Formats: sequence, C-alpha cells, structure tokens
Amino acid sequence: MALTGLDIFKQLPKTNCKECGSPTCLAFAMAMANGKASLDMCPHASEAAKEFLGAATAPPVKTVKVGVGEQEVVMGDETVLFRHDKTFYHPTALAIQISDTLSGAELDAKIEKINGLVMDRVGQQVAIQMVAVTNCSKDAAKFKAAVEAVAAKAKFALLLAGDLAALEAAVPAVAAKKPLIHAATAENWEKVVALAKANNCPVVVKGNGLDDTAALVEKVAKEYKELVLDFGNTAQAKTLAEMVNARRLAIKKKFRPFGYPMLACTLATDAKEEVVEAATYVAKYASIICMKADEKHHLLPLMAWRMNVYTDPQKPMAVEGKVYEIGDVTPDCPVYVCTNFALTYFAVEGEVVGSKIPGYIVAVDTDGSSVLTGWASGKFVAEPIYEFVKNSGVMDKVNHNSIVIPGYVAIISGKLKEISSYNVIVGPQEAVGIPAFAKANYPQLMK
Amino acid sequence: MLIIGERINGMFKDIGVAIREHDPKPLQEWAAKQKAGGAHYLDVNTGPNSEDQTVDLPWMVSVLKECTDLPLAIDTTNYDAMEKALEVYGKPGALINSIGCEQEKIDRVFPMAAKYQADVVCLCINKVGIPKSADDRVAMAMEFVANAEAYGLQPDNLFIDPIILPVNVAQEHGVEALETIRQIKMISNPPPKTTVGLSNISQKSPHRSIINRTFAVMAMTAGLDSAICDANDEALVDAIATARLILNQDIYCDSYAKVFRQR
Repeated sequence: MALTGLDIFKQLPKTNCKECGSPTCLAFAMAMANGKASLDMCPHASEAAKEFLGAATAPPVKTVKVGVGEQEVVMGDETVLFRHDKTFYHPTALAIQISDTLSGAELDAKIEKINGLVMDRVGQQVAIQMVAVTNCSKDAAKFKAAVEAVAAKAKFALLLAGDLAALEAAVPAVAAKKPLIHAATAENWEKVVALAKANNCPVVVKGNGLDDTAALVEKVAKEYKELVLDFGNTAQAKTLAEMVNARRLAIKKKFRPFGYPMLACTLATDAKEEVVEAATYVAKYASIICMKADEKHHLLPLMAWRMNVYTDPQKPMAVEGKVYEIGDVTPDCPVYVCTNFALTYFAVEGEVVGSKIPGYIVAVDTDGSSVLTGWASGKFVAEPIYEFVKNSGVMDKVNHNSIVIPGYVAIISGKLKEISSYNVIVGPQEAVGIPAFAKANYPQLMK
Repeated sequence: MLIIGERINGMFKDIGVAIREHDPKPLQEWAAKQKAGGAHYLDVNTGPNSEDQTVDLPWMVSVLKECTDLPLAIDTTNYDAMEKALEVYGKPGALINSIGCEQEKIDRVFPMAAKYQADVVCLCINKVGIPKSADDRVAMAMEFVANAEAYGLQPDNLFIDPIILPVNVAQEHGVEALETIRQIKMISNPPPKTTVGLSNISQKSPHRSIINRTFAVMAMTAGLDSAICDANDEALVDAIATARLILNQDIYCDSYAKVFRQR
C-alpha cells in the first residue's frame, strides 16, 4: 500500500504557506499521494518527515540472508498475509538443534544424521536449511569447539545460540560462514549487535512479546539492520498471535520495527507434537523454525507442507509428464491419455483406480493445462499427443494398438488416427465415466 | 457495495400520509420489501412536510427498529431531530445522513457520531456550493478525515459523498465525481468509505434506470462502497451484484444475483 494523504499530512509542517504551489498542506499531501508532487517542494519539511517518507517506500519486510554460497538462506521480502493474494516467496528455513554438550563421536554422529535430512518428493529435493548450535553447556570454550566442529562438517547454514561470552568466543571463528547470531536481548544488545556488525552477520533480536520486542528493535535498528525477530516464545498460541500481528503491522501499517523476518522455536517435547507446532509456524509467517526433531519420518510431512504452502498459486499445479501404471498392469491393459494438469490427472487416476481395471495413464506434458485449455492452446492436439505417446514407450508395454482419449477432444481423433496409425478410442467426456467405460470394454480384466 | 434503500421518505405520498397519521404499516411494508430487494441499510427521511421532525423522525425510527434488523440511515439536516432519533435507535451502527463540509456542522455531528457509535455521510459541499473539480472535492474529503481523527472516529466511519448532479444539466460533474471516489481511497489507511445519492444522476431524464445502473457500475470500479438508491430496481441490483463479481469482491456462483440479495 502506497502512502496515504493522511500519512503524509501528519508529517507536514501545517503552515499552509502555499510555497509548494498547493493552496494548503492538505492539498499538497494529496498531490504527493497521487505522485504529482514531491517532498522537496516543501521548504519547511522536517528531517523526521523526510526520513519517514523515505522509509515508507521501502519494502514492508526486509530481506535478510544467512550463510554463504550453496548454503545461503534468503528470508523476508514477503508482501501478503494470504498466499492466495499473490504468493509467499521464501520458504521457512528449518533449523535443527545440536547441543554443545555433545562432543567427539557423539557430535560427529549427530552432524552426520542432520546432513542426511535431505529427501526427494515429487521429483524435487527437500531438505532442512540450518543447524542451530546451542550453548547448553554454558561453557564458552565448549561452545566454540562445538561450533567449529559443526561448521567444518555440516552441509547447512549456521545458527549460533548462546550467551554473550559464548558468542564472542565462537562467532569470529566462523564469521566467514555468515552464521545467524541468537540473540540480542534487552540486557546484552549493545555488545551482541557490535559483535554481529564487526563480523557482518545477521542477528536475532529477542524480546518478550510484541511491545517489548518493538521497543528493543527501535534501539537496535539505529545501529544495525540485518535483523531477525524473536518474540521470546512462551506458548504456541501466543507465538502464533504475535507472528500474525507483527506481519500484519509490517505489511498493512508499514510498522518498521516489525519489518524483518521472524524466528520461532518449538516448545513441544514430543516429536510428533513438535511437528504439528512447527506446521503452524510454517503456515503463519515464520522465516526460521528452530526445532529438535531430527528423524526423517517426522520432518518429511513438515517439509511437504512447507513445499505446498510456498507453492505459487498462480501457476497451475502439474504432475510429471510421463506414463503412470495403475494397479497390476498387464500387456492387455487399456492406455488412457490425459494432460499433466494435476486436477485432470488425479481425476483420471482416481476413476481408473475406482474402475478396478488396471491401466496405463499417459499424462501428456501440456505445461499443466487442462484438457480443453490444452486443446485450445494447441498443446493437447494430434501431433504433440502422438509425439508424447510415441516417446513415452507405453505402446511397447502393451500387446494392442489402442489409446483412449478424453471425450471432450473427440474432434482430434481422426487426425490422431491418421498420423499415428493407433486405434484411437474416444472415451467418456468426464473422468467419472471411466469405470462404466472400462467395464463395458475390458470385462475380462476385472480384478 | 452497500445498498441504502431510499424509499422510506416523506416525499413519497404513501410515506407522507403514514407520517402524518403515525401509521406504522407502510413503513413496515417498505422495510420488508426493500430488504427483499437487496437493501443493506434503510434510509429514513420525514420529507419536507413534517410538522415537527423532532417528533416524527424518532417515531419513524422506533417503528423501523421494531420491524427490521437492517441498520438505519437517519436522513435529516435537523441535528436536534437527529440526536433524538439516535437516542431512540439506541444501538451502534446507524448512519447519520448527512453533513456538509462546514466546521460548525462537523463540530455538532462528529461528537454525536462518536457517542452513538454511528457512521456519518459527509457531503463534498460547503457554503460556497458544489465544487467543480475532483481536487476541490478531495480537499473537502481530507477535511472530514482530519477532523474525524480529532473526534476519535476512524476514517472508515465516514461515508464521503462526492455529490453527483443530473447528467442532463451537469454532465461534466460525473467524471469528476468518479475521480474523487478514486482519490478518496488514497486519503488514509483504512480509507474512508464512499457513497452517492445515486438517483440524482438521472433526475428529469427519461431513462432513469439505465443511467443509474451504468453510473453505479462505473463508480464501483472507482471504489464506491455504497449508494442511496432504489433497492427494488431489479436491473440496478443485478448490475451491482455483477459488478461485485467482476471486481472479485464476491466469490462467483451461478446464482450470484440471488445470493447477493440474501446477504
């Protein structure tokens, strides 16, 4: 939201001197809101006004980066409260905790385990992004040793959580990795922020609730702006409310102290509950979630959820364009052809499963457009369908020469027959007709 | 888009008689009929023939309060009658209709609005008359918003009316009113609401309904939030429901026009 006339008016001197060319300060404020005037036309504008109006044109949530190279994590720069309004840009980073009470073989084993938290899902790699080394030992030397060991072996960006002494010992040793420092508090912020600034690392500002954190950020931001917010997580529901309010204020009210990425730590001790808690924070604006769970089976659902939440709603959801085998297929089974639009494919797949007759589904790559959309745009017509079916090799798996096309594109069957010499069968218009179609045509294959 | 039904007005003969005789029936009938048409508010106006507005207006409000759950737009420039009517109304959410852009009117009415938790229709018009340009209208809108803050009202407690004039005699005003509505949305965050006396645009023209609904659609595109209009003009309500769809303000369904009237 651009600046409103009233926002600008409040910053003006209210002299109504007309020196800007407008009859009143009110009129000048409206002219500015409309982009027809600029503040330098006002000879009496204060420095504070200039700073406010400059800041108001900055993006609502600052971009902050942790880590370097392959390990770099980009946070912030979000613009909406609901993904359907546009999209969420930077997926929540998951940071898995390692305590500095571990050492030697135990520590190595833990790092090894965390490095293994990389999985494949629907053809994409999903992984955690950060390792959080925590100063549970309360011993600065131990902390430094653990941080150095983790930095040497871990495949991910670092988050270092400790008291001032521990941070002062560990941060300079790994500054080249640009770790995130946790945390500047009301007691120690001057020194922690000085350390972050000297080592060019982002730093977490940790307060106690909204008001306290905002007041602390106001102080810190005068010195340094590479910040991440932590509202001092005390209860899941409270954290959720704090993050929602902070993000609302940043986007809707341009409230600068909350215009930074946010970090949440899970409180639940049971791993399953922890994942549910983390899922809440993924959906509601957290840029980093610091958690203890480190089992693949706990993290995979969370990563799948994160992937889904951060998908761009404006791009059609597509499945991989390829041949899918439904049930125990044999060379006698039917070959159905549809597009790779997710809604289309899953409608067809569901009905083929429901027909109790195994079959092949060729999801032609139409850039994720539906049958009729693909047909209208020339992506689901005779030539591309023939090319795709031929290259998919599906016809080598069957002992017949028939393919079934959607009833709505019956018009292409003649041409498709001609160029492919397949026996093109026009199937039902709606996928819901597939079970009846299959039973009528392939009764011998009924399972 | 809120439809403020205009029919309960002493200018209409049946309502005029009802007010003179304090017969609640026509008021009750029009309240129900306008709600069925799609009204979200009911405008309440004694008309010019009322002997004493401080008696008649509170009576009308008390009758309507009993028979409908729609909020009332209390339409008078007699602020003593307004205050009595608000007192009788006795609940938040009324609409004070209306004040012009004059400090003494603002000072008289805004405290009332704050006290009774009512919203206020603010007309872009002052002693000098109706401004010609959008800029002059917007300057008045700004005056209202700046004053609202001082009286503890939110900008969106105001329904600012850019003033529309009959297209047959003041053609050049329509486009300025549209531009005013567009700019009012840039005054503050949240922005003030906007309203128009829609039927004015077609005064003394032979094609009232088509002129009204065409302007309504254009003004909604500019950001119009409400209009005082004929809630029983089906073509108008259909056009408003359709414009809401196209502006992505309501989720589409095949029976959208029916759904709009039920909300």
